[in-house]
Amino acid sequence: MAERMLENPSRVTRHALRISSAEPGFIRRVEELSGENLYACYQCGKCAAGCLFAEHMDLLPNQVLRLVQLGDESVLSSKAPWVCASCLACQVRCPKGVDIARVMEALRLLSLRRGETALWAKEIPAGVPQIALVGAARKLTP
Amino acid sequence: MPDDTRHASRVTRHDTLSPITHHSSRIPYFPGCALKDQARAFERSAQLAMQALGWELFELPRWNCCGTVYSLASDDLMRHLGPVRNLVRAQELGEGRLVALCAMCYNTLARSSRFVEADPERLRRINAFMDEEPDYRGGVEVVHLLQLLRDEVGYGEIEAKVARSLEGVRVAPYYGCMLLRPREVGIDDPDSPEVMEELLSSLGAEPVEFPQRAECCGAYQAVSRPEIARGRVQEIVSSARRAGAELIATSCPLCQFNLETHQNVTHHSSPIAVVYFTQLLALALGVPGDQLGFELLRLDPRPVLSKKELV
Repeated sequence: MAERMLENPSRVTRHALRISSAEPGFIRRVEELSGENLYACYQCGKCAAGCLFAEHMDLLPNQVLRLVQLGDESVLSSKAPWVCASCLACQVRCPKGVDIARVMEALRLLSLRRGETALWAKEIPAGVPQIALVGAARKLTP
Repeated sequence: MPDDTRHASRVTRHDTLSPITHHSSRIPYFPGCALKDQARAFERSAQLAMQALGWELFELPRWNCCGTVYSLASDDLMRHLGPVRNLVRAQELGEGRLVALCAMCYNTLARSSRFVEADPERLRRINAFMDEEPDYRGGVEVVHLLQLLRDEVGYGEIEAKVARSLEGVRVAPYYGCMLLRPREVGIDDPDSPEVMEELLSSLGAEPVEFPQRAECCGAYQAVSRPEIARGRVQEIVSSARRAGAELIATSCPLCQFNLETHQNVTHHSSPIAVVYFTQLLALALGVPGDQLGFELLRLDPRPVLSKKELV
């Protein structure tokens, strides 16, 4: 049974199986940091449908939110929060008023505050202006 | 007269959004990093345009970096210090308002201002931390130049002062994110903004509607994931091109950089120059083209403008 479920192509379903490992501290932390009511989301997918960066994400924004609801800390290894550019297209469209950009920021911060980084000086392209450098450094480095 | 009626509904609609109440034609502006470097053309043309309209924009003394991106975390008070210090500078001048030109600065300053005013405890902690600064008491209103032009100068007044109509120039107004989102600081409706279209119309130009006008250009991903920014920009620019644009106008130096750097120029498409809206405004108001920093842009808009004998 468990094996059959694991073959399910839906990442969320697969992750739902791990609910026993849910970490209530993690959910609380994301809630605190983001200031958002995570359980207001009813998975309509409007955020993902309108996300301009979704094609570069390993998990769609609504899937990220679902995993957080389930307390699945493995969401911290998703690339999605690092691809999110806080453009807020989802924020103005969410019918439940959930600011997913804040959830993405909370997930980035949980990693950054553990000392991780998503930007390496040697990989910065030449000629980018300071407005971009300051923005990237603030979003992607501890 | 036709102008007053044309914009009457807009004025009513923005009564609640734009609590601009006082009138003074001398007003401090916040330049930010880009306007002193890569976007010098923006600062220069804004000052010249406002001068032509009988206004004086003067530089906020001792300003510092706004931080460029607004912190979305609830516990990150530190990230609001930069913006709040700038609001303290405006307060010291006895000014109730601060004008921003750069869309990112506008967003960061306006949101931080709301953030600290929403909770006295936050403001108290920030003031306590900024030990050596006078306490910020709240109340400085951050205004974008486009709001000032719409709500105080007025399109009718601008139209009356046009010395060189931009007739026949097809311009795609590109809003990006920071002027429109989130809704509480947006200068216009996030889904159907009109402020730039109306300004361009008052200059005689032909605003070109294109679906990607409020879509993100990739922002700071130009640093970490340039391929993402490139993909975004190519969609935006080809959308503007399909709509018939000859120029793209913006108010964000980061959008401007991304849009002109990441355009995909092939043998069947020539690049579209990306200008600051203030350059077109100043040009229409009669400021000579050679003072507007067109040569500082990577893609030269002058071939388009000279075809219409504007430069």
